[in-house]
Amino acid sequence: MSGYGIRIEGLKKRYGKGDTAVDALKDVNMQVAPGEVVGLIGPSGSGKSTLLKSLGAVIEPSAGRMVLGEQVIYDDGWKVRDLRALRRDKIGFVFQAPYLIPFLDVTDNVALLPMLAGMANDAARARALELLTALDVQHRAHAMPSQLSGGEQQRVAIARGLVNRPPVILADEPTAPLDSVRAMAVIRILNAMARQFETAIIVVTHDEKIIPTFKRIYHIRDGVTHEEEGEGRAFT
Amino acid sequence: MISLAGRDILHAWGKFVFTGAGLGLLIGVTLIMAGVYRGMVDDGRVLLDNSGADLWVVQKDTLGPYAESSSVPDDLWRSVASVPGVAQATNVTYLTMQVRQGERDVRAMVVGIAAGRPGDPGWPPYLVAGRQITRGHYEAVADIAAGFGLGDVLQIRRNRYTVVGLTRRMVSSSGDPMVFIPLKDAQEAQFLKDNDALLMQRRRTEANPEFNRPGVPGLLEAVVGSQAVNNAVNAILVRVSPEYEVADVAAPIRRWQRLQVYDRPQMEGILIGKLIATSSRQIGMFLVILAIVSAAIVAFIIYSLTMDKIREIAVLKLIGTRNRTIAAMIMQQAIALGLIGFVVGKITATLAAPLFPKYVLLIARDAVFGIFAVLAICVLASLVAIRMALKVDPAEAIGG
Amino acid sequence: MKRLLEGRRGLAVIGVLLPLLAFFAYAALRSGPLAPVAVTVATVETRSVAPSLFGIGTVGARYRHQIGPTFAGRVLRLEVDVGDAVEAGQVLGEMDPVDFDERIRAQSGALDRADAALREALARQAYAGSQLQRYEALLEARLISEETVATLRQNQQVADAAANSARGEVARNRADLDATRARRDDLRLVAPIAGLVVARSVESGTTVVAGQAVLELIDPSSLWIDARFDQISSAGLSAGLDARIRLRSRQDETLSGRVLRLEPLADAVTEETMARIVFERLPSPLPPIGELVEVTVDLPPQPPAPVVPNAAIRRVNGNLGVWRVAEGDELEFVAVVLGRGDLEGSVAVRQGLAEGDRIVVYTEKAIGARSRIRIVERIPGVTP
Repeated sequence: MSGYGIRIEGLKKRYGKGDTAVDALKDVNMQVAPGEVVGLIGPSGSGKSTLLKSLGAVIEPSAGRMVLGEQVIYDDGWKVRDLRALRRDKIGFVFQAPYLIPFLDVTDNVALLPMLAGMANDAARARALELLTALDVQHRAHAMPSQLSGGEQQRVAIARGLVNRPPVILADEPTAPLDSVRAMAVIRILNAMARQFETAIIVVTHDEKIIPTFKRIYHIRDGVTHEEEGEGRAFT
Repeated sequence: MISLAGRDILHAWGKFVFTGAGLGLLIGVTLIMAGVYRGMVDDGRVLLDNSGADLWVVQKDTLGPYAESSSVPDDLWRSVASVPGVAQATNVTYLTMQVRQGERDVRAMVVGIAAGRPGDPGWPPYLVAGRQITRGHYEAVADIAAGFGLGDVLQIRRNRYTVVGLTRRMVSSSGDPMVFIPLKDAQEAQFLKDNDALLMQRRRTEANPEFNRPGVPGLLEAVVGSQAVNNAVNAILVRVSPEYEVADVAAPIRRWQRLQVYDRPQMEGILIGKLIATSSRQIGMFLVILAIVSAAIVAFIIYSLTMDKIREIAVLKLIGTRNRTIAAMIMQQAIALGLIGFVVGKITATLAAPLFPKYVLLIARDAVFGIFAVLAICVLASLVAIRMALKVDPAEAIGG
Repeated sequence: MKRLLEGRRGLAVIGVLLPLLAFFAYAALRSGPLAPVAVTVATVETRSVAPSLFGIGTVGARYRHQIGPTFAGRVLRLEVDVGDAVEAGQVLGEMDPVDFDERIRAQSGALDRADAALREALARQAYAGSQLQRYEALLEARLISEETVATLRQNQQVADAAANSARGEVARNRADLDATRARRDDLRLVAPIAGLVVARSVESGTTVVAGQAVLELIDPSSLWIDARFDQISSAGLSAGLDARIRLRSRQDETLSGRVLRLEPLADAVTEETMARIVFERLPSPLPPIGELVEVTVDLPPQPPAPVVPNAAIRRVNGNLGVWRVAEGDELEFVAVVLGRGDLEGSVAVRQGLAEGDRIVVYTEKAIGARSRIRIVERIPGVTP
């Protein structure tokens, strides 16, 4: 595989010690190429949220290997030191709810990440505007989040996820609260963004409306992942 | 980098200003309390300044004339005046009593000033209206804090006095306004109570066979007459010639067994150390309580402001905001709150100070100290919220 | 920053912040040590000061007559009461004569007896005289002996002596009687002058000692005022000056009077000069003795001099003077030598100021050479 994307091999996560230890993840293997959008499906208790936290560099696994783009971020006990910078620069997040910062306007919500990374304010805002345009919400650039519709807010959230051009984006149930039309729109956008910015996108979902659109799907059960072909249906 | 604290404040500025105003009232109360204390100390200082004296000669073993009652014969000033270095020695009496004007009674310190002219010790050093006393009887100069105006007629004991001059900031150490009247009238006022008391005294004397001897005509009148005379004053105020040291002038007077002499620093020590010591301790305790209450309230406010934002803080942490940045946001908000509170508090204190019945003195030093105290309290109070914020698990943003 | 202040929100922010900061600046500058001190200023004028002296006194009678017995006794009756007008010589009352009348009768009797003894002695003297004459004639006729005549001569001498003695006795008894009568008369209390009874100290039946006053009389036309003036401000007081008198019970009336004399003995204890003031015209009704009065004596006006209000006089570093306002509201303390002042508060300045100088009169707090001042019409806080 070429430089970008994400690859996970043999990831394990154990909580606790001794007799009361719980293995939330036993053997996880995933790889997503840049520009690819894959689904991650699993029931609750399957270790899905633990996997998400590991992917999001929020928790540290117990064993295995994680490679993000060209960078090894975890390898059997060794890990990258600054997880926070990693999250800021290399991982984009899109949540169920947009979780925009209510006291920043739309542009600043998106521009915040590059500013945190050290970019100058004007350049960060310009970059933000680029993404807002790509997601077709540039006409709301100076509005406050509370003034936007749900769909617009979600698109701004996606823009925020993309603004630092991270190699991977984790989308956690992005379409759960939406109707089918809007859900399709979101998936369409995600696919378009993945291609445009050469980002790997992992969509955690159990929304029946969009599962058919994935070409590849990872199922996780009892801490183990299985890869599967998806329908890859076109967006309607 | 934009200021997260600033944006948050601008976004919810109404809530912020409102909270800051509430905090400001608390700070204002604290500043006024400090002002009350300073006012009390200033009352004492002003009392000493306005007397125009370098030395106070009082009855031996008393802390008089302000802290304790003191009585010296009224012809003793001549002996004091003959001590080398004494530029002027004048009698003075002080008595705190009710002064009646029309329908109302005002509590005032009646000062008896010896016949002389403006500039003498005991005389009011400056006026805001009217003139100084020129007649030897039945004229008065009153402080405007008593509420009297020029031309008002005051009733002090048995005599009536016309107010001919007004002063400002001439108060006793407990804040009672001063009324200056001629010394002879004041001696009579201090001694002669009212007609009823006089009649009782006369009857008692008549009933006493020692004084009412038939074989000695005139004895009873002589005794009653001597009872109706007061030959004492409360203190002798001494002005020292500029070429002499105050201590050198005080020493020979002190050596006379029947007199006590205090110089300016000693009088300040007595007034401030003894008279207002208890009050100042009380105020000090109150200030400490206010400070603690303010700190607690600020801490609570910052904590709840932070808790309101805990979701956003989790998101910020998840998307990669430094802990430092988040802590700075909280602390900046706390400081902004403190500054708003202080501005409101200082304005409140300045507007409210003249409304208090006693003098409230707000000095710049207290305000400066107050700013630093408020900022320190805000910073410390914000530490609690910062601790909470930093403990938040960013994974909470990722549901479950 | 620009973006922050856009729109309605920005306006609202400015609308709140600006007044707040303005208030704050006001609070900092207008109160506390940075604020300038409000003062009023007057211009020194040259005019003539008419000083007056003020004193208080009591109404008194020039002559007070205390009527009483010259020896201990009991008061029998009093004829007059307080407020009665009496004539000179009028009997006001009488002490109890006790045994005086008896004694007079006894002495009268003694006098009568002495008279009778005198008559007897005179008779004997006459008889002895005539006897002697007869026998002397007989002696010339040598009808009787020398011895007989000698005896008769001796008889006559004895009779003469007895007559003299009897005369002396009569005189003595008369004198005794006169003395007792005089003392009896003395029991009567008699008014020495025409006047007014002002006090009745004892009632009939009371025993009094010698010298104790039973009644007190005054001459109402001799009412005057014992006035006292503070020594320190009584320069220029002298007899003959006009005075204005105000009785305590009649505050609205001003009576005119004159300074009769200055007492040569001042009161060293109270440090007052005493003077007697008389009324030009006695007020009617007469004021009671002892009523308090206020006396104002006007002195002749002084020659014109620069005059300052006494409220402007201060003492700084031991010197008496005033604050003068120079150009640009700069303050400068000028030591002055003061002359006399009048009772309204104007004081003449003998040295130190000239006409036209602007001086500080009222200040809202104590000022020093470096105080910043702002000149106002009236000190704030003082209602007119």
